[in-house]
Amino acid sequence: MLEQQLVNGVVLGATYALFAIGFTLMFGVMGVINLTYGVYFALGAFAALWSTQGLGLPIWAALPVGALVAGVLAVVLDTLLLTRLRRAKAPELASLMVTLGATLFLYAGMAAALGTEIRRFPAEVFSGGAYSLGDVRVGTTQLLILAAAIVLMLALLALVRGSRLGLAIRAVAENPDAASLMGINGALMLRVVSFLSGAIGGAAGVLVGLNFNAIQPFMGEHMMLRGFAVIIVGGLGDLRGALLAGLLVGLAEVLTAAYLSSTLKDMIAFALLVATLWFRPLGLFGRAAAKRA
Amino acid sequence: MWEAFDDFYWTYQSLIHAIGVNGILALSVYVVLAVGQLSLGQAAFMGVGAYTGALLTVKFGVPFGVSILAAALVPALLALVVGGPTLRLTGVYLAIATIGLGEITRIVFLNWDYAGGALGLSNIPERGGVAAIYGTLAVLLVGLTLVARSRVGRAMEAMREDEAAAGVMGVNLPRYRLVALVVSSAMAGVAGCLSAHVSSFIGPNEYGFEAAVTILSYALLGGIGSPLAPVLGSTILTLLPEVLRPLADFRLMVNGLIIVLAVLFMPRGILPWRIARTG
Amino acid sequence: MRSMSRRVLLAAALLGSSLVGAQAQDKTPVKLGAIEILTGPNSRYGIAIQRGFDLALADINKAGGVLGGRPLAIAYEDSAGAKEQALNAARKLIGRDKVPLILGPTLSNEMFAAGPVANERKVPIVGTSTTANGITAIGPYVFRTSLPEADVIPVTLKTAQAKFGIKRVAVMYGNDDAFTKSAYDVMKASLEKLGIETLTTETFGSKDSDFSAQLTKIKALNPDAIVLSALVEAASGIELQARQLGIPEKVFFIGGNGLNSPKLGDIAGKSADGTLVGSPWFIGKPDAANQAFVNAFKDKYGGDLPDQFAAQAYDTLFIVAKAIDAAGAPDSEKIKDALIKVKHTGVMGPFSFSDSRDPADTSGVVVLVMKGGKFQLLQ
Repeated sequence: MLEQQLVNGVVLGATYALFAIGFTLMFGVMGVINLTYGVYFALGAFAALWSTQGLGLPIWAALPVGALVAGVLAVVLDTLLLTRLRRAKAPELASLMVTLGATLFLYAGMAAALGTEIRRFPAEVFSGGAYSLGDVRVGTTQLLILAAAIVLMLALLALVRGSRLGLAIRAVAENPDAASLMGINGALMLRVVSFLSGAIGGAAGVLVGLNFNAIQPFMGEHMMLRGFAVIIVGGLGDLRGALLAGLLVGLAEVLTAAYLSSTLKDMIAFALLVATLWFRPLGLFGRAAAKRA
Repeated sequence: MWEAFDDFYWTYQSLIHAIGVNGILALSVYVVLAVGQLSLGQAAFMGVGAYTGALLTVKFGVPFGVSILAAALVPALLALVVGGPTLRLTGVYLAIATIGLGEITRIVFLNWDYAGGALGLSNIPERGGVAAIYGTLAVLLVGLTLVARSRVGRAMEAMREDEAAAGVMGVNLPRYRLVALVVSSAMAGVAGCLSAHVSSFIGPNEYGFEAAVTILSYALLGGIGSPLAPVLGSTILTLLPEVLRPLADFRLMVNGLIIVLAVLFMPRGILPWRIARTG
Repeated sequence: MRSMSRRVLLAAALLGSSLVGAQAQDKTPVKLGAIEILTGPNSRYGIAIQRGFDLALADINKAGGVLGGRPLAIAYEDSAGAKEQALNAARKLIGRDKVPLILGPTLSNEMFAAGPVANERKVPIVGTSTTANGITAIGPYVFRTSLPEADVIPVTLKTAQAKFGIKRVAVMYGNDDAFTKSAYDVMKASLEKLGIETLTTETFGSKDSDFSAQLTKIKALNPDAIVLSALVEAASGIELQARQLGIPEKVFFIGGNGLNSPKLGDIAGKSADGTLVGSPWFIGKPDAANQAFVNAFKDKYGGDLPDQFAAQAYDTLFIVAKAIDAAGAPDSEKIKDALIKVKHTGVMGPFSFSDSRDPADTSGVVVLVMKGGKFQLLQ
């Protein structure tokens, strides 16, 4: 049973990691906790659902559609909501609040437009077969999630750490004014980052929707709470930290349910969060972009 | 005539209670915001206060004053444990720590059978009522206005305008933050206790993330220039769902839109005036 | 919007009276209040109920309304699933609109908030979907037409024991929801009474989407069946993941009222096959009244199928209309006294209130089994 539970934990952890990596990227570069992130998660899932049902696309094509739609929305929302505040150098609270209002608006709008019943991808879109290895079963959707999560995360890390674009992004994150003096188009970089994190959120939504078969407008709300825990445990703005913390939280939840009690499962992420703040406030690696006051 | 007034009062009684309770909650979040910090745990503190007070009243039959006192103390202790370690970091950490606190308290209440678990606590006797709620609100409004006009108020304002400068000028930042957080959580606890004793039923899902966000939006809509502003914000946002009732499906959307527009176009809240100083 | 529909109703009433040439008679509508969840995540329950009411309303008014020709009308208030709003809505309907009777609210939690207020003002309040324990104990003006879980679940478990000989089960329930928790309490008591061994009890959150840890644990214990108290969203996910994890199909699920939804088959498909639920109503019930209801519902709502919430609402309005007729006036006190005596045979079968204002007759409870994504009567 332990082997199966480890598989369960890694898959759950991969979904948390994927979700959190886009979330923490947004924070790391823009310094804003953007609550609309949960909307991209749901929107990506719906866009992919629509493209499989309405357009008859296969899942490998629907995944990028979901990511693209979510990424574009992220850019639009960032421009509409945050540009003005950024220019006025408004406190981070104002930015948080405006994304909060937008989130309420968008959730209610999605609920009105799409209904609140849960939906799933058509069964024929992805054959839900499973591989058995002794007693351990791994579903093909689970493998897909793992593979997609790993590929997306590696690609993002390579982009941010190893490319000129990544260098520019990091420069903007470090100090927007200095970056613009050095000829970096700060506004463009922010759009790029918005798009990337929105797209990752959207992709995470598609994959989670595919694995757990529960697509509905409020699916991102629940995930956001876990997302907060993961990005703190990993260190705010720390991509590799988010990756590891996601896995850690997923494994911890599954093992708690398996060997302690399932009533404690929902609490474990937040217990880790509080413990992190007490003992390693800057996250697993202790070198997050966080500023001490 | 009297009958019509009676009917009117009866019809809107819950709303009148809610406006007062939410006013206290708005002030509680104001106290934290006033030192440049952000708490998303006000709902959790409120819930802890509500459960503490209601359990004392229902299970032990203690006098209402004792319930209120306990409802202020227990959340304050909790604030120390959870908020303590974040006070040396930027505001975002307290915000997220308090989100975690909210989830933990929700799950504890859910699984605590003595307090009714998921079914909540019902048949809470009515205590306090309008007089206690508005009395508390008035005392807090006056008290906080006096604080805001004093030297302490000036230090607080300096902290939220420019923390580094305030620190250099000798404001003890962590201590101010700690006191603000503890006071604020006690206020939220009292609000929870008052509201539990006028609504006869409380449940563990009432004090979640959504409630925290609503409480925060009171202060953000009103602004934090003076203690009156967040109370104005909470009054508007409490009335809004009732006023917008005919909009049905679009009500939540309009609610969100109002917050967005208020922040974008009135970044200092709808009541931006600062308070005059004496100290 | 509301005033317009009132005007339309009034016009229709006037038109009707002039056509038959009846003498001067009171044709003002009798307006009832209804508090349901019409927006937000749980709105599908409230909307199903509203549709059931509206269909019954049309039928009743087509047949001449109540009190010898007065049309019936319903003023809806949205609670959005929040108890404060349910409470405000109840106060508004009673204090301002002066309705003689309130239908709803949707959730048991909301009833615990709104019920005491209606009871205080001596206005009958009739829940059509509130199944938790203790609802009607709020007071003598609180009624419900929905069978409490305590009447349905024992029937389901007993049938499963008699028919499939289950001896050892695993139990799973959503522990953050009053509805699923109170169904679990009934399950626990009922399992003990029947002498069925509970191997493990696992919990989950109603918004969780990953249940693999709990199900893996259950799989290792190898139970005869899994007893599940969940809302349909979580239930679909659990049943799908159970099969993905390799829990064999002979280990079937036994559900509470939350699983009793066509949505379960839509989402979980073949994985849900074999699921047993007890239900006060079944869409495939062959009697003419039920089939007429199902067809009328489909016609009116663009092919959507009714669920038990719509069926309960549909019957409830007829029961209330009968009580108003028996009371002879739209007067709260008289309606309350008349309600307790009403006998009605509707789409759910024969109905009357017990002395404690719960449904008296549990003979209508049927056990359904999921086959090929659809519930059918267990043979």
